[in-house]
Amino acid sequence: MFFRMVKGALFRQKGKMLMIAFTVALGVSLAVAMLNVMFDAGDKVNRELKTYGANINVIPKGASLLNDIYGLGEGAGISDKYLNESELGNIKTIFWAFNIVDFTPYLEMSAKLNGKTQVKISGTWFRHHLELPTGESLDTGMIAMKKWWKIQGEWLSDDDENYLMIETNAAAKNNISLGDNVKIFYGAKAYDFVVKGIFDSGSDEDAQVYLPLKKVQEITGKKGLVSRAEVSALTTPDNELSKRAAQNPNSLSIKEWETWYCTSYVSAVCYQIDEVITDSVSKPIRRVAQSEGAILEKTELLMLLITILSLAGAALGISNLVTASVMERSAEIGLLKAVGAYDIHISLLVITEIVIAGMIGAFAGYFAGIGFAQIIGHSVFGSAINIKPAVIPLVVFLVFAVIAAGSVPAVRFLLALRPAEVLHGR
Amino acid sequence: MNLLELKNVSKIYGEVKALQNIELSVAQGEWLAIMGPSGSGKTTMMNIIGCMDKPTHGRVILDGTDISKENAKALTSVRRDKIGLIFQQFHLINYLTALENVMAAQYYHSMQDEKEALEALARVGLARRAKHLPSQLSGGEQQRVCIARALINYPMLILADEPTGNLDETNEKIVLDIFKALHKEGSTIVVVTHDPEVAENTQRTVILEHGKIAKINVNKKINGGNKI
Repeated sequence: MFFRMVKGALFRQKGKMLMIAFTVALGVSLAVAMLNVMFDAGDKVNRELKTYGANINVIPKGASLLNDIYGLGEGAGISDKYLNESELGNIKTIFWAFNIVDFTPYLEMSAKLNGKTQVKISGTWFRHHLELPTGESLDTGMIAMKKWWKIQGEWLSDDDENYLMIETNAAAKNNISLGDNVKIFYGAKAYDFVVKGIFDSGSDEDAQVYLPLKKVQEITGKKGLVSRAEVSALTTPDNELSKRAAQNPNSLSIKEWETWYCTSYVSAVCYQIDEVITDSVSKPIRRVAQSEGAILEKTELLMLLITILSLAGAALGISNLVTASVMERSAEIGLLKAVGAYDIHISLLVITEIVIAGMIGAFAGYFAGIGFAQIIGHSVFGSAINIKPAVIPLVVFLVFAVIAAGSVPAVRFLLALRPAEVLHGR
Repeated sequence: MNLLELKNVSKIYGEVKALQNIELSVAQGEWLAIMGPSGSGKTTMMNIIGCMDKPTHGRVILDGTDISKENAKALTSVRRDKIGLIFQQFHLINYLTALENVMAAQYYHSMQDEKEALEALARVGLARRAKHLPSQLSGGEQQRVCIARALINYPMLILADEPTGNLDETNEKIVLDIFKALHKEGSTIVVVTHDPEVAENTQRTVILEHGKIAKINVNKKINGGNKI
């Protein structure tokens, strides 16, 4: 009889039940979309931000000490300490290997351009193919790391031994154009190059001229060595734990240490890089890492607020609809009380009806939400959003919470309803 | 033996005294009518006897138990177990069939028994209309479903509020015949009515005026009418 009554009420009040289902569907679709985007946005926003450069600088231990003592800028090229180029592939073998987006080494030298102006020259990878010890392979380098650079002409390739790239201001100052022949004087020797690209980095880059790493190693006689490396990694915004760990990982308890090590905090990634590269010190480029964290936190907060507001709106909508429905059915509810139904029976009947309508709405809303999430993914990030199964139990819980909150006024109304008032008008 | 006793019962709504010092006894198996003009307190009395309201003062004793101080949950139990309610507006659940409306009362009382519910409908001449929705039934038929629902749990007291108030002459006669049959079987019936024809069939008629019992008429034509 209970289910006959539920079924009867559902079909008899099709319009109202559809409105309840629609309200829940609307709230759930927004919640599902926002929660999925929120859970996936970390990676998405991180990747988006990674197109604006590296967030970790790896330098040799001795050079780091000089920086710490004398406050010299990182990568100033004054140190005689070097990292081994052959170890750089290990960066992709750390615990958070999948979070390493790109990395590139630099070997810096100071030389005279056309025998006149002193310029800083960096040798680097442009698109370097690496075979990793894990059996995987990888292409990494400047082209991937400096996507926002405006290039006149072309990027160099790693095999362009007789070509260089020059910074736009340095080119203008030295009256150099694309395709010009230039001479680089290092020590007693002069080397001939053709300008293949003129770049505008949008900021004051340290190096004014870029060459393939191999060429600079050959000129300086430092085969297999690099002075530093830049790493672009997907990281989690810092919190109290990561800040403490960054100062001194040994101050953490074992449990804290495990949590920190197994979370992609920038300090944890740095620590793991130092574990795989001999005598290296990795340091977060704080300005970038902190901005990324702040943007990510704000984006997540915004989406969380939208989720809460959409569900609160749904609860209000349900509350109005259910209260109106119960008021319309006051004679029926009064009759059920008159023939012996307790308040709990009637509350259960009404809530079951709302839950069924709500679950139908939630089911439809879930799939609509996945659709919305994909629309957001493609229009904002240009890629699909990964659907997180963890959202399902969360949404089920939220639907019940919303229905429960929305049903409170209706249940209070029906508890207060006296059969004499609705059946006999007193 | 009295099934129902009202002892010095009053009901006051703010300034309005709906019932004042009512003293009334209803014997087991008696058929009693309550009459009076609008505002005389008939409905209030019906609500108090039917456990849908409580008196402001006085005691209501049903089947030997004082129910005047019971809470809402206890009154629901009394209603469910001892009283069959018949309404002028029928109050059928319009998305349930005639049979299901009868079974709804069974469901909240004890166990559903479709066969028994069908027998109750057959008793009021509606066996063939069991699967019809209220909207597919005439007013008289709806009232008979309401009577079947009131009878299904074998109540001690049948309480009817203007049971013929919304019916034509033919249906009024059918309903009255059902009441007569119930009375003959020994049911205790209290009926609130404006209709003198209904009152004529009862053993006693209580006339209410301004919340007080103005008069009690004993119908000597009816067998056993001398019981007061």
